[in-house]
Amino acid sequence: MTAITAVGAYAPRFRITAEAFEEAWGQFQAAGITEKAVPAADEDPLTMAYEAASRALEAADLESERIDWLGVASSCPPTAEEDLTARLGAMLALRSDATFHLFSGSTRAGTRALWAGVDALEGDSAVALVVAADAPRGDPDDAIDHAAGAGAAAFVLESDGPAPIVDRAEYTAVYPGTRFRNTGDAETQGPGVTQYDRQAFTETIAGAVADLECDLEPDAAAIQAPNGSLPYRASGAAGIGTETIRAGATVHELGDLGAASVPVSLASSLAAGHECVLAVSHGSGAGADAFVVDLEREVPSATALDGDGTLSYVEYLRQRGVVTTGPPAGGGAYVSIPTWRRSLPQRYRLEAGRCPDCGALAFPPDGACRDCNSLAEYEPLELSGAGTVEAVTTISQGGAPPEFAEQQAQSGEYAAAIVALETDDGEQAVSVPAMGTGADHGSFGVGDRVETTIRRVYTQEGVTRYGFKIRPAE
Amino acid sequence: MREAYLVGAGQTAYGAFPNESYRSLFRTAFEAATNSVPKGLEAAEIDEAFVGTLGVGGRQLGLSGPAVTEHVGLDGIPCTRVENACAASGFAVRQAVQAVKSGMADVVLAGGFEVMSDTSSDATKYWLGVSGETEWERLSGTTFSGVYAQMASVHMETYGTTREQLSRVAVKNHANGSKNPHAQLGFECSLEDAQSAPVVADPLTLYHCCPTSDGAACALVVSEDVVDEYTDEPIRVAGVGAGSDDVGLFQRDTYAGVPASQRAAEQAYEMAGIGPNEVDVAEVHDCFAIAELLAYEDLGFCEKGKAGGFIESGATELDGTVPVNTSGGLKSKGHPIGATGAGQVVEAFKQLSGTAGDRQVDAPVYGLTHNVGGSGGAAVVHIFERETAVSAR
Repeated sequence: MTAITAVGAYAPRFRITAEAFEEAWGQFQAAGITEKAVPAADEDPLTMAYEAASRALEAADLESERIDWLGVASSCPPTAEEDLTARLGAMLALRSDATFHLFSGSTRAGTRALWAGVDALEGDSAVALVVAADAPRGDPDDAIDHAAGAGAAAFVLESDGPAPIVDRAEYTAVYPGTRFRNTGDAETQGPGVTQYDRQAFTETIAGAVADLECDLEPDAAAIQAPNGSLPYRASGAAGIGTETIRAGATVHELGDLGAASVPVSLASSLAAGHECVLAVSHGSGAGADAFVVDLEREVPSATALDGDGTLSYVEYLRQRGVVTTGPPAGGGAYVSIPTWRRSLPQRYRLEAGRCPDCGALAFPPDGACRDCNSLAEYEPLELSGAGTVEAVTTISQGGAPPEFAEQQAQSGEYAAAIVALETDDGEQAVSVPAMGTGADHGSFGVGDRVETTIRRVYTQEGVTRYGFKIRPAE
Repeated sequence: MREAYLVGAGQTAYGAFPNESYRSLFRTAFEAATNSVPKGLEAAEIDEAFVGTLGVGGRQLGLSGPAVTEHVGLDGIPCTRVENACAASGFAVRQAVQAVKSGMADVVLAGGFEVMSDTSSDATKYWLGVSGETEWERLSGTTFSGVYAQMASVHMETYGTTREQLSRVAVKNHANGSKNPHAQLGFECSLEDAQSAPVVADPLTLYHCCPTSDGAACALVVSEDVVDEYTDEPIRVAGVGAGSDDVGLFQRDTYAGVPASQRAAEQAYEMAGIGPNEVDVAEVHDCFAIAELLAYEDLGFCEKGKAGGFIESGATELDGTVPVNTSGGLKSKGHPIGATGAGQVVEAFKQLSGTAGDRQVDAPVYGLTHNVGGSGGAAVVHIFERETAVSAR
């Protein structure tokens, strides 16, 4: 029977409270949400997918080459056309001959990916990685935006393990017009036909749960949460108490996580040790998936769902780019797309080189050795991602080069450092320039320990370039 | 090899000149240079030219050398554009010296120009970063203020250098610039002004950063065979040194110094047969306040790590043991990228020929210029020697 063998979860550090919305708008349209997670200007579903997936792999203590199936889900992927799974696969160093699938189209996409992952395990796959990441957006005066949070979860699936998926069921019923994003739009919308929307929600959930065959005694339920009150309306339909729903809920602190809503709740319920979890999604259109996961023993897990920094409403609008004007005219540092692609082993996986003549490290591993001037071919090695700040400054507001002007308008001052990144054994290090992220700019000082993560670097010729940045070591 | 002599040098005022073009600025500098030659020098006597410019704004990226030399009537002579970022015309002067010393030319023009004030602020920021290492350093979010701030962070951490010591560079250079009619920011600034100015890239404040400038500068280098036709008070090019390094700071051996400057200085001192203690006046590359402090150490004016105390001692003020940036430096006089290196030679020429006016240093014999490209990817040092006692003018 297919089992979850490791989980990872991630939410951005920024939070905004319901009170901040009330102060700005005179009301808060997302019932039951006390605060929600807000992605930083350099985050999006792809970077959050990396955060969750890299944690799941670390928790699993799994070599990435063993993964033969990847499913990535988001209702709002950063590109409407172009398969992001190849980027995530490269960031995680997955094999090129693994099966890669992208799931989108509704908030049900996360459980669709899980569904397909189970199918894959029941077929030829040995180790599957399922990742759901989302950051919905609505118009600023709309309930969808008030509720919109951000987060990601990842699951490693194998044929046997501590948390078997004991049952699953699905249900579809046609309900057009509850929640949609038309082609070309950036914001999700819904006319808000309250009773109709609720009927679509409860009917699909009830339908999926009714098809489950196992005896249901969950002690936590991960129910799709477009806001903080709707999941509780599924109590009767799903045949579970509101306390069970509360036990699995993440919406009250993280907001509407879209396609990651049920996956993040499931991941945090498993990480918290709940023994039987009912997970039921709902996606507009409409449909639902239901899963029952038993926890037979502890699941290796790594979750980072805590907040660290509360935004005002104005800061919220800035971080989301609502009140900024986009990249300036006049151009930026030009790095061609093929040039950028050639650097992906360094940007994504910190591939350095060791000089075969003198043993010195080079990053990027290109050109003559800085120590002995040898032009011999470097021996590739991956740096660990841990390092120490050697030199650092804070680039004040307005001081960023033009390719970073929009990011700075959104997120303000940032640290720019040179860091000595270490080999796995910590014996050697090589100096690399890196932008600070994930913490206040003042948190980076000479001598401080840092670690790398992957974020959006900048966008040129319409192509968003992702690469490593540094944050204070956890 | 034959000796080379500096017989004239002149520049435009540095600043923002909406009514001038790069060609008209170059013409002003060219005429100032020829007019400064004691016995006069005609355009037709010039054999060759080297012109430094980065090309900010992209107005004439190709053939930007002939574009200005033909404009001033240097009809048909060979002209080569030299590009080494902010050290472009420092290297143009070096090329002129080489041409003379090699025997291929007797009279050579070395100049430079830049127009930086007529582009939008975003376009200017783009151009200001083009000489940083693009793929990694620049894309970590830095322009040069950021990279020099990183150097400052290391110098402060390693040697205890303070922000107040950085501010003293601004105070001194503005005091000097206030005595230079060609200075762009020819006003005095107080320590309090420099300390309390807005932070650009921590720890550097606005007063720790040079301005962007329009301007041009030219120098005339001649051989020993013809020097007597132009002057009776020859200024010899006693020493020349130059060096390169990795373009990105992160690729270098040290962040608290500029190895290319050290290499350039070592060569120049050896060729001139003097040590740092014999330098009477120096123009150093102070694009940011930390850069002047690093230059004190790299040029040997003080020991490694002691630059903060050295500026505090007053040694580099006009009446100090080695007055530095008597022109106001890049900080106060201005920094039209391609003109800067030649502009430093203009100040050395004025000081050694006793024509520096209110900022004249007392009877200098050796004048040094130090020009750095980017954050230290290239550096060039010249040492000039006045061969006769300075006459009263």
